[in-house]
Amino acid sequence: MNPKSRNSRREMSKALSRVANASVSETLEEQKSIPINNLYRIGVTGAPGAGKSTLISHLASKRVQRDRKIGVIAIDPTSPVSKGSLLGDRIRMETVSDNPNIFIRSIPSRRAHDGLADNTADILWSMEDKNFDEVIVETVGVGQAEYSIRSLVDTVVLVLLPESGDAIQAMKAGILEMADIYVVNKSDLPGAEQMAGDIAVTAARKSGVKEEWIPKVIQTSNNNIDSFRALDEAIESHRIWRSEKVNRDEERRARILYQVQGLIGRRIEELIEVLTDSDLDKTPKEIYEILIENLSKFPK
Amino acid sequence: MALLGKRILIAKPGLDGHDVGAKIIALALRDAGADVIYTGLRKSPLYIARVAVDEDVDAIGLSILSGSHKEIVVQTLECLNELDASDIKIFVGGTIPRDDYEGLIAAGVRGVFTA
Repeated sequence: MNPKSRNSRREMSKALSRVANASVSETLEEQKSIPINNLYRIGVTGAPGAGKSTLISHLASKRVQRDRKIGVIAIDPTSPVSKGSLLGDRIRMETVSDNPNIFIRSIPSRRAHDGLADNTADILWSMEDKNFDEVIVETVGVGQAEYSIRSLVDTVVLVLLPESGDAIQAMKAGILEMADIYVVNKSDLPGAEQMAGDIAVTAARKSGVKEEWIPKVIQTSNNNIDSFRALDEAIESHRIWRSEKVNRDEERRARILYQVQGLIGRRIEELIEVLTDSDLDKTPKEIYEILIENLSKFPK
Repeated sequence: MALLGKRILIAKPGLDGHDVGAKIIALALRDAGADVIYTGLRKSPLYIARVAVDEDVDAIGLSILSGSHKEIVVQTLECLNELDASDIKIFVGGTIPRDDYEGLIAAGVRGVFTA
């Protein structure tokens, strides 16, 4: 790297922090226009301990071999007690951590409870003009209901473990319906084959519409690095399918709606935090009215 | 919380395989409100500086129990300087003899904290 590019990497890094740390009012001020979407977005989600971070490191090294610049946004939970966080995803990404074509940013979830972080949508927007080709978003370890990632990315990869048979049952009505690619990770463990088969059946059954994407099921293992090639290829075929079939206008509207919902939700939390004791001695209806009135003012 | 919104990198440079202390410090900083990133074991000063830039941290805590703290500190500061990030503060912990504190501070370390 030459001195100039080092310098610009730091500038880019600082710019991302500004977006990540922005309050609702700062975020709204910054939104001048809707950026053109060129960045391909891959979301990786799954339960805690499923192997998301390690999988991303293998995936990112495959993606850069396609001559692409990759950004990784790795989200870890904020402690509800201290409001601090331990952002541990990067430890699992050591092998790609100082690859000049891979940029990894760890961010805390802050107020968000949907598997993502505050301002995730704006962070992704701000990455549009920063020379990335693709971004991989790692969610917080999720249960069955946190599927907001679906609203923000192009390809959703759900990472599962072979022994999570009962979890699969529980997930049927939630995140399990949302993925484009299912990964049975740690597939050297017993039960992987069986589970991959079960998911393939469930995933195929949802397909009623002609030309719908039929989710792919892939088995991966850290003991077989080559197994991640299949994941890389599955993402590529989904990307091609999307480019032909997806209505980009509809998708853009859905993303904007998610973004607006997030901003309003956060704004309400900001307003709740500044309620006084005497406000809270009122009835729920009165407090509701106070909040609605404050919400109608532009945030300062 | 004193450190709310601060980003801190806890790093283990050099050939030193003991990180219990580093992890305890990471947890204590989280409990004080900071967002803490840990590098994992046996990282080079250049690796640590690059991670600090990409993660846009406010400070780096170097945990060193190998005895080579002087060399490691100087190299890390040089690497930060190279990456145009000399404003990122460095603090040091581990097995640092009291006689070495002054030298480390003179080199640019903001604080030395040992058990």
